[in-house]
Amino acid sequence: MKKYSREWIVAGALGLLMLSLALAAPHFFQLQPLLSRVTSQMPAMIVALGIAMVIISRQIDISLGAQFSMCAVIAGLVAAQGLPLGVAIAAALGAGALMGALNGLLVAYLGLPSIVVTLATMVTWQEALRLWQQGRLLNLPEGIQWFGMSQAQGQATVIGITFILLIALAWGMKNIGAGRAIYAVGSDAEAARLAGINPKRTTFGVFVSMGVLAAVAAVMNLVQSPQIQPSCGDGLELKAIAAAVVGGIAIRGGRGTLWGVLPGLFLLANVNPALTHFHQPPYWEKAIQGLVIILAVVADGWNQKKQSKG
Amino acid sequence: MTQQTNKLKLSAILARHETVLLLVILLEIFIFQSFGRNFLAPSNVSNIFRHSVEIGLLALVMTPVILTGGIDLSVGSMMGLCAVAFGILVKQYEMSPWLAAMLAISLGALGGMGNAFLITKMNLPPLIVTLGTFSLFRGLAEALTKGSEAYSGFPEGFLNIGNGNFLGLPAQLWIFFAVAILMWLLVHQTTWGRSLRAIGYASDGARYAGISVRFNTGLAYVIAGAIAGLAAVILVARLGEARANVGIGYELLAITAVVLGGTSIFGGAGSIYGTLLGYVAVAILNNGLGRITAHQIFDQPIASVSRELSGILTGLLLLVALAAGVILKSLASRRARRQSLSVKPTNT
Repeated sequence: MKKYSREWIVAGALGLLMLSLALAAPHFFQLQPLLSRVTSQMPAMIVALGIAMVIISRQIDISLGAQFSMCAVIAGLVAAQGLPLGVAIAAALGAGALMGALNGLLVAYLGLPSIVVTLATMVTWQEALRLWQQGRLLNLPEGIQWFGMSQAQGQATVIGITFILLIALAWGMKNIGAGRAIYAVGSDAEAARLAGINPKRTTFGVFVSMGVLAAVAAVMNLVQSPQIQPSCGDGLELKAIAAAVVGGIAIRGGRGTLWGVLPGLFLLANVNPALTHFHQPPYWEKAIQGLVIILAVVADGWNQKKQSKG
Repeated sequence: MTQQTNKLKLSAILARHETVLLLVILLEIFIFQSFGRNFLAPSNVSNIFRHSVEIGLLALVMTPVILTGGIDLSVGSMMGLCAVAFGILVKQYEMSPWLAAMLAISLGALGGMGNAFLITKMNLPPLIVTLGTFSLFRGLAEALTKGSEAYSGFPEGFLNIGNGNFLGLPAQLWIFFAVAILMWLLVHQTTWGRSLRAIGYASDGARYAGISVRFNTGLAYVIAGAIAGLAAVILVARLGEARANVGIGYELLAITAVVLGGTSIFGGAGSIYGTLLGYVAVAILNNGLGRITAHQIFDQPIASVSRELSGILTGLLLLVALAAGVILKSLASRRARRQSLSVKPTNT
């Protein structure tokens, strides 16, 4: 219980928000709109899982939003050529893995700080995309939306895939050697090395996984609408980092469970709908998100201080 | 003895780094002059600096922050918040722009104090704290302007700071010179500047040596916030308009200038003159590309390309500068090790 207290506090806050919404604005819980809202959060959920792994390994990746946009546009362009969806997905995954590998190479093998590396790659991808697409909306051919299924089936598929990823990754982080290595490298890279783990390879792998997950998320986003915007991933990095940090992933690495990402993301994602349902102006969303990140880090710092005092 | 050789090595590397940077700048000038139009015309040269003074100011104050081994991602957002606050004070409260400018700078210092408190008192990582305030400051600016409102119609005398000339140079350049001299004095001529390097090199060691790590580190963030406020006021004077989206992405350009200038991103080493050179390189790159595209070296006129292209090149330049720094350092340490082995072969 104590070990997971942070996740439960966040889940409790989410429950309270839901309860007050249920009392004040019952139409928030109509099934179809609710299902659509949940589905629309699934891409953010997937990248949040990726960034949670990155943060656990004591790194950061703020280029994930740009990677997401890039993968979405690449998949969209391939699909627009009339090629089957499978090819489009493969192209997106390949692009994501490559972009992740570049970050991983610079961070793990050149020893550069991940914040500056990913800041630079973020701008590079973002501006390259702008130069390439000039902000054009990309129309997707028939049969892409909802994987060519009905909307209900498509939504179920997107939600299903996301939760399978969540369960598999959360389980793997705890029970598979590679997952434990990420925790080990995040808490103390030198100790991990002495214990026979290769920290460079682990860090590299984490960044590649981040790129691949950004690509998966981009595909999950792609199938939800008939068009794709080249700027669809802008700002996603903040949302994902906030979800991970609020969900109890320690920013200093080595601690936290991927399960925490679930309540963390839904708490943040409901700020905006809650503002509108309580008839408040929506401009405060970004400020509230920033405040929530700071509060989460402060809470983290406090816990650590208490622990170190015994 | 070893200390002296280390020092010599370090100065040799620094000299080389700054020479390389000078060569890069000369190369940029050569390319843009030969492909572009009127690149070295006095009007364009003064334009380059008029349009990038804000980035230079941010780079100057980012230097002490990075010297401590920290980072401040919030300065661009802080510019947005200060610009909006300035606009509201002048237009809604009908305050004199000079008083409003003072208040905007104070607001910047206050925001910097918030960062400093969280980083030094609460002992939280600068990266994530300023990522949070990056979002918070920009969000507050958006909330204050309800997402889209802009303030304009400032008095002529104030707008002259952004568009006028003083003694033949763009007016804001004189402010930049003043801040540059101030930062040079602070970083290179005071115990504060020396203690920043000590903190960046080894924070615990600095504390054991009796340096107040908290105060000295915190001061760097407060100065960064205040100068971000000043940069916001200058930018508003140039644009004639205060909006919430002022200064987006400026933190990256400032960090690029600092790192290009040879300041180690891990802290402990760096200089203000390096930062000034780095800033010139970034500023020329951003302006020069506009010149090239105006000259149509590509087949079709692509005036809109320059901004994106300079963004891409700035990102790549930063990556190359970082990688070069690390590789040079590892080469130098390898050479030093080999030399020390050849001098004392018995030493194992």
